[in-house]
Amino acid sequence: MRYKVLTVDDSKTVRIIVRKAFKPYDCEILEAGNGVEGLAVAAKENPDLVLLDVTMPVMDGVEMLTKLKADPALKGIPVIMLTAEGGRDNVLKIAKIGVRDYLVKPFKEEVLIEKCGRVIDLKPIAEAPAKIKSITDPADILIVEDKPAIIQQIQEGLRHTPWRIKGVATQAEAQNSCNLAPPDLILVSLSLPEESAFAFFRYVRTHAKTKYTPVFALVVKTETVQQQQAQTVGFSAIVTKPIDTGELETKIAKAMNLDTSQRYYATEGEVLVMRLPENCAPAVLAEVAGHLKPKFAEAVDAGFNKVVIDIHQIKSLHMGIIKLLFQAMQTCRELAVQFALVGNPQIVSECKGFEDTRGWTFYDSLDDAKANLGKGGLVAPQLAAVG
Amino acid sequence: MPATVEITESLIREYINRAVADVFKTMLGREPTFSAAASWVHGTPTIPVANSRPQVVGTVGFVGDINGLIYLHLDLGFARVCTCHLLGMTERELDEAGDEVVNDAIGELTNMTVGGFKNGLCDAGYPCKLTIPSILRGSNFSIEPVGSIVRHIYHFDCAEHRVIADILMKTDE
Repeated sequence: MRYKVLTVDDSKTVRIIVRKAFKPYDCEILEAGNGVEGLAVAAKENPDLVLLDVTMPVMDGVEMLTKLKADPALKGIPVIMLTAEGGRDNVLKIAKIGVRDYLVKPFKEEVLIEKCGRVIDLKPIAEAPAKIKSITDPADILIVEDKPAIIQQIQEGLRHTPWRIKGVATQAEAQNSCNLAPPDLILVSLSLPEESAFAFFRYVRTHAKTKYTPVFALVVKTETVQQQQAQTVGFSAIVTKPIDTGELETKIAKAMNLDTSQRYYATEGEVLVMRLPENCAPAVLAEVAGHLKPKFAEAVDAGFNKVVIDIHQIKSLHMGIIKLLFQAMQTCRELAVQFALVGNPQIVSECKGFEDTRGWTFYDSLDDAKANLGKGGLVAPQLAAVG
Repeated sequence: MPATVEITESLIREYINRAVADVFKTMLGREPTFSAAASWVHGTPTIPVANSRPQVVGTVGFVGDINGLIYLHLDLGFARVCTCHLLGMTERELDEAGDEVVNDAIGELTNMTVGGFKNGLCDAGYPCKLTIPSILRGSNFSIEPVGSIVRHIYHFDCAEHRVIADILMKTDE
């Protein structure tokens, strides 16, 4: 939903500053130069919020506010005063008429946004339209943890990613960091003193810039009460210590809605390579399976008709992997795509032990598989495993 | 109703100092420093402002239990710098937008400054309201008050620029 914000101020400068402040958010800014114009725009457009000055020609802000609140159709519109009129008595008098907040000029744009964000649900708009972020794109991750060893462990575990990982030790440092440059994802330790993890979480959720930033709770595996509390308040995910950085990486990618297909699918020359990693946990298999049909179809659409399914990194087969391989082969057949398998001696030997996989043919290397496909290749697996 | 505090020169100086510092720091990221002051009672001195360079002067009044007005003097070059900063414009964009944009921006800066000053007066027991801003442009001019007026002039240095707040307050006589 696109919110409408009406700024009523006789100063074009203020109206421009308001427009500038709201530019990163999905809002339509309406303008009026005095109370009469303000009431007319409010009646016509029914804005979600009015920012109202006091001293204006024709009709001042106090009169406009009084008339707005007396009109049954308009009285529900929340009003925030944005004015240089700030004497205690004046503020009290105006507040009694019915305003949601009062901001005295001079004002900082971020303070204005923060106050407005408490009244309407401000959502940032993406500057570049509709480009899905990928696992290979840089992102900023903030870790709030008072134990440097944990920060170091995460930084080292995710070193292979393009993510910039910054660690801070206190709530104050974390808030400061969020104000300066809002991160793409936050990890916060629930063991910070005085429940400051929860205070920081509330801070993040009440600020427009970080309102939608995924926040993970870091907690010791056995601290079930804290885990429950984190789930209740709405943390995006729980990460238990000791930390499995592989699992953490998958969770981060999912929370940031990253396209992870490049981890498992790549076009090399004229061939699409589907590559399974060493750790084929159920979450990984689900990720690979989710990308399978779209990636194969995309390759065919781009003029490729050869696929290599490379599982040489896998140490041992299990049913999940076998099911995925069947699905991949079936998709190749449906799309009339040639394919070949790359494995290792352990996999070849294990395949001989299953009725359904006994006939699969594996190549020792990607190059062998590609060379074979170049000669015409296979449309279906051969019925004998290569030793 | 707060108890009325006597309006002394030091109180006026404190209020204008705070107001100018607040506005210039919050809106422009600058930190003006107080550099000189002068006061007259019932006199009609020529304002000692070296305004041979083109000036943009914002004026906003306050009316109520206490009445007066404040002129905020900026030289044109600084007025343009302030406008560009406030509106996020380049010098070139400002040239295309015209003088009206500078006038409006300086009018608003003056409104905020006088607002800060007069809010101090309100809280000291002198309720009053702001008037709508107006702008005076030119060079080599003087402002001469008439009638019973107390006048305070404060100079502020803001990097290489000077900002002058000329406060005229009506006395009871």
